[in-house]
Amino acid sequence: MFASLWRLRVFIKPYRVGWFAGIVAFGVARFFEISVILLTAEAINLIAEKNYDVLMPVLGIFGAVVARYIVVTYARYAVRKVGLNVAFDLRQQLYSSLQDQGAKFYAEHSIGDMMTRAVADISLVYRLIAMGTILVVILVYATLFGYGAMLYYSPMLTLLLLPPMPVVFWYAQRSSLQMGVASQQVQERLSDLGTHVQENLSGIRTIQAMVQEENEIRRFAHTNQNYADAFYQQGRIQSAMAAWMPTFAAACTLTILSFGGYLVLEGKMLVGDFVAFISLVAMVVQPFRVAGFIVNLFQRAAVASDRLFEVMDLSPEITDAPSGNTPAVISGDIQFNHLSFTFPGSTEPVLKDIHLHIRKGETIAIMGRVGAGKTTLLKQLVRILDPAPGTIVIDGHDVTEYPLAQVRSQIAMVPQDPFLFAEPLKDNLTYDDPNRALEEIWQAATSADLKDTIEDFPDRLDTLVGERGVTLSGGQKQRATLARGFIRHAPVLVLDDCFSAVDTETEEHILSELKRLRSSQTTLLVSHRVSTARHADRIIVLENGYIREVGSHEELIAAQGYYAELERVQREGAENENFAGTRVSS
Amino acid sequence: MQKQADTNTEQQHDHAMFDADLSGAVLNMHLLGRLMHWLKPYKLSLFISTVLVLITSTLQILLPIIISLVAIDHMFLNESDADTPDFGLIELNTYLVDLSGLHPLFIACLMYGVIQILWAFTGHAHRMTLIGAVINGLRDLRLDLFRHLETRPSSFYDRVAVGRVMTRVTNDVEALFELLRGLGSLIGEFVPFFVALTVMLAINPELTVILLFALPILATATYYFRRMTRHLFRQVRQTLSALNQNLQENLAGLQVVQLSDREGFNLKRYTRINENNRDFELRSARVETLYGAFNDSLAHIAIGVIIWFGASQVADLEMTLGEVVLFTQFIGMLFHPVVVLGEQTNILFRAMASGERIFQAIDWDEKIHEPAEPVQLPARLDGEVRFNHVNFSYLDNMPILNDVTFTIAPGEKLAIVGPTGSGKSTLIRLLSRFYDFADGQIFLDGVDLNHIHSHDLRKRVGVVLQDFHIFSGTIYDNIALGNPDITRERAVDAAKTVNAHDFIISLPGGYDTELTERGQNLSQGQRQLLAFARVLAADPEILVLDEATASIDTETELLIQDALRRLTQGRTSILIAHRLQTIQEADRVLVLHNGRVEELGTHEELLAAQGLYSTLHSLQFQEPVADEDSA
Repeated sequence: MFASLWRLRVFIKPYRVGWFAGIVAFGVARFFEISVILLTAEAINLIAEKNYDVLMPVLGIFGAVVARYIVVTYARYAVRKVGLNVAFDLRQQLYSSLQDQGAKFYAEHSIGDMMTRAVADISLVYRLIAMGTILVVILVYATLFGYGAMLYYSPMLTLLLLPPMPVVFWYAQRSSLQMGVASQQVQERLSDLGTHVQENLSGIRTIQAMVQEENEIRRFAHTNQNYADAFYQQGRIQSAMAAWMPTFAAACTLTILSFGGYLVLEGKMLVGDFVAFISLVAMVVQPFRVAGFIVNLFQRAAVASDRLFEVMDLSPEITDAPSGNTPAVISGDIQFNHLSFTFPGSTEPVLKDIHLHIRKGETIAIMGRVGAGKTTLLKQLVRILDPAPGTIVIDGHDVTEYPLAQVRSQIAMVPQDPFLFAEPLKDNLTYDDPNRALEEIWQAATSADLKDTIEDFPDRLDTLVGERGVTLSGGQKQRATLARGFIRHAPVLVLDDCFSAVDTETEEHILSELKRLRSSQTTLLVSHRVSTARHADRIIVLENGYIREVGSHEELIAAQGYYAELERVQREGAENENFAGTRVSS
Repeated sequence: MQKQADTNTEQQHDHAMFDADLSGAVLNMHLLGRLMHWLKPYKLSLFISTVLVLITSTLQILLPIIISLVAIDHMFLNESDADTPDFGLIELNTYLVDLSGLHPLFIACLMYGVIQILWAFTGHAHRMTLIGAVINGLRDLRLDLFRHLETRPSSFYDRVAVGRVMTRVTNDVEALFELLRGLGSLIGEFVPFFVALTVMLAINPELTVILLFALPILATATYYFRRMTRHLFRQVRQTLSALNQNLQENLAGLQVVQLSDREGFNLKRYTRINENNRDFELRSARVETLYGAFNDSLAHIAIGVIIWFGASQVADLEMTLGEVVLFTQFIGMLFHPVVVLGEQTNILFRAMASGERIFQAIDWDEKIHEPAEPVQLPARLDGEVRFNHVNFSYLDNMPILNDVTFTIAPGEKLAIVGPTGSGKSTLIRLLSRFYDFADGQIFLDGVDLNHIHSHDLRKRVGVVLQDFHIFSGTIYDNIALGNPDITRERAVDAAKTVNAHDFIISLPGGYDTELTERGQNLSQGQRQLLAFARVLAADPEILVLDEATASIDTETELLIQDALRRLTQGRTSILIAHRLQTIQEADRVLVLHNGRVEELGTHEELLAAQGLYSTLHSLQFQEPVADEDSA
């Protein structure tokens, strides 16, 4: 488990000078701190001997205090700086690693999980470096210097101080365990409370319609009481710790008072040394009090760094290895060569023996039921999923021979899910290249029939979309993502079912725009509507991963297959769909 | 009527205010005063807690006195100052030694141990009485807040996000706890401060005054430190949340990022925020470390001053050595309260904002207007419903209902149809008084709705909404809903009538099966049947049903249609219908379009009229319509 903690040294290495300087400085600071105690003892001894000239020890104290202040401030800052820099580097690397992962990785890992790693796990590693390891160093120094000074005064008394230590350690350990349980309980009950309120308020209309307010208030009182009880319990443990921890430690003070006092009375110890002992006890008890906390911190950080390295060790899902002899611009001739695809962990292929040649300038419609493999096919074309070598050939070269950036910029794909970033509309439309001219943006928006919508917004192109801005309807989102695709004027345009929330009339309009603009370029589009597909040069019907039908609208109607059947059903429901269309736009 | 319209406009609430940043005052005495209202019931606990803090603080002072005055002065040096305020500890020691004949040092240890244990007990008791009172007070506050929220009208929940309201009940009350605990701990700091100060002044006023000069220095440093860090901490928090937001969004839209080849650009953008965050972190670390070692350094300087000044005082026989040692041990108690006070200001700042938010919610007086003298409805209504020129809009200048007038005879079944946004749901919301309306009237058996108390009304109008809310509890609880009149027998009868009985008894616990709030353990169709059983058991005179649009398997669908038939039997029913069968079985159909009554008549009449209904009929009702565009 601690292997990944050890690996963190790679991240500390660039900052090792500051790190070691900090560790050394902490030792120096401890030395000055001990000096203050020793000089105070010295001064008290002088006064006890009726020698009232204490100027030298007092000046020594002042000097040590100032020196300690400077050194300890430096040490604390230096070490925190290392921690912050390591956290910075970890974040950078994690971000890059996460960006390099793709469909396979995110099918198995949730975004929430990744966020936990980025936030909580990195923060744990930071705390380990900035607090945990430093705590160890400080405590080692405290033990060395503290016991050193005590042994110097009285080895016997020092030995007598050892027995209470295990008791302090035991109590601290036990309390922190109890505290952990209690805190978790409080967290759970707090989350229960939140859930209760959330669910209750979500159903507030039913509650009020059924006149259930009083019942619900009674029920809430119960949840509320549970939370208060857990909170009280946690407070009790905390308060008990605050009461008994010093009381256990007082066993040491009692030892000093009795045996040390005896030594003083016997004339074997000076009064100042007696006082110094009492000050030193606090220093040597500390390690026993916080040992449990430190162990816990190390354990949690070990788990956290495990989780971080798990992600950072992944190699990019799609490797970019251009061969160098591919043309700089794709013309748009696409050859699928007996392409099959099986998702990892599955036995049933999603695509089976897809063999098809799409010529430059062709418009191809892809149809088929949900799960027929349409999206999987398109994703391989832009290498969101990697195809087997030789199965996808573009302009005579395997798609994997092109630089990845070129494939994705010259084959523009508009995915099914109309995702918009919580940014101004303008930035969303020019997502691939933020430096596009305003004219281009309006052109693309017009082609995607988004111009009027934008003009209706108060801030037009600067309108912020998403949670904190304007919430767009499904159709508006789709048209925005279409505009984002159109603006790129790519040699190949791939539309993955981008009209599902757009009414047919608007769709017709956008398609005719497409036809006008892209007459000589390749376009692939997935659709469920015959009205969309009929405009294509050829229509491909996928079924269970196979190509079932290929041909023009007329050819497929004549073939009396799946497409013809679809056409019949949709024609009969055509008016219905028109009606649905007007509903959407209203 | 005009008068009521006026009060309505007057009471327009600006819901944006509910989320707005509030005054931001650091110390709002008025707010603290209001908070005291909830602590009042626990004033005895608070009083006991205050007495205990005085005792425990004094005991805390006694411990160093045993070391320095009893042990060092009295025993080691044998030169006690008769005027020293030793709380009679030296005398007690002498007395106990005489009494027991034991060694004075042993007696001193005994005294030390006993006082230490007493200190632990009283301190624990003090904290527990304080925390107990505060926890209970805030529990009551939270309940009152919830009670208040529970009775806010729909117009409130239309505008205010549930999540935002929820944090008031949880996080904001939490912040108040921190505030009260903080104030409690300040008491625990300042009482020892004053006791120690009194003792020090009694021993040597000059040295005490010299030491007190350090306090303004410490206070000034603390003040400036807090002021600097408050700003920096906010920047750190903001950049950190920007950092996380950026990552979250990038992951959510990763496919678009990769398709747009934006990885490099986005990494640069992330790097900038990451650098920003680190820089603010470093700056706040610098300030924090500078201040961090300042307190103890100042305390150590003070020890030097005590020894230097103390030595001359001892020489002049103004002080004893033990008193000098005592001063050095009191230094912590003198300085610590200032540091804690500084720590508390940030908590105070946050808690004030939370308190304001809580009281804003409690003061939010938006509510359904209940009649001053509500009309007592007869035990059983006939069930005639009459809408009379009703106009309504949620927002100004966006009318939803437009001069709606129609009458439903007792026992009649009326189906309401119309495109999304035509005002169907609004119609039933007004009927069950979820909203106040002033323009037009709705009569129930000739009684104006606005003259009936909403609770009374809602018992007469049974509503089955599309989003059926399941309450935590058993199936029986969900049917009876706490109404003692609904016996188990009656609940079973109701379930049988609406075809819910069979599936209920097939569940592992039958009618005692526990349901979770979201009802994950029931299917859509089962939930619909349960909703029917619930409303039938309540036996309202008027039934309002917003038919679910979700697709349900054919078998359950048949059960539902059959149940609906029995449910509406002889009961005035208003059905927002999506299924053809429901419409055909209604006595009359009302077609709503853009908030107007477009057509009203029987199914056959309307079909014959060749109007909007016949279009809707041929297009929309062939199959259950998926209402996916209701947004």
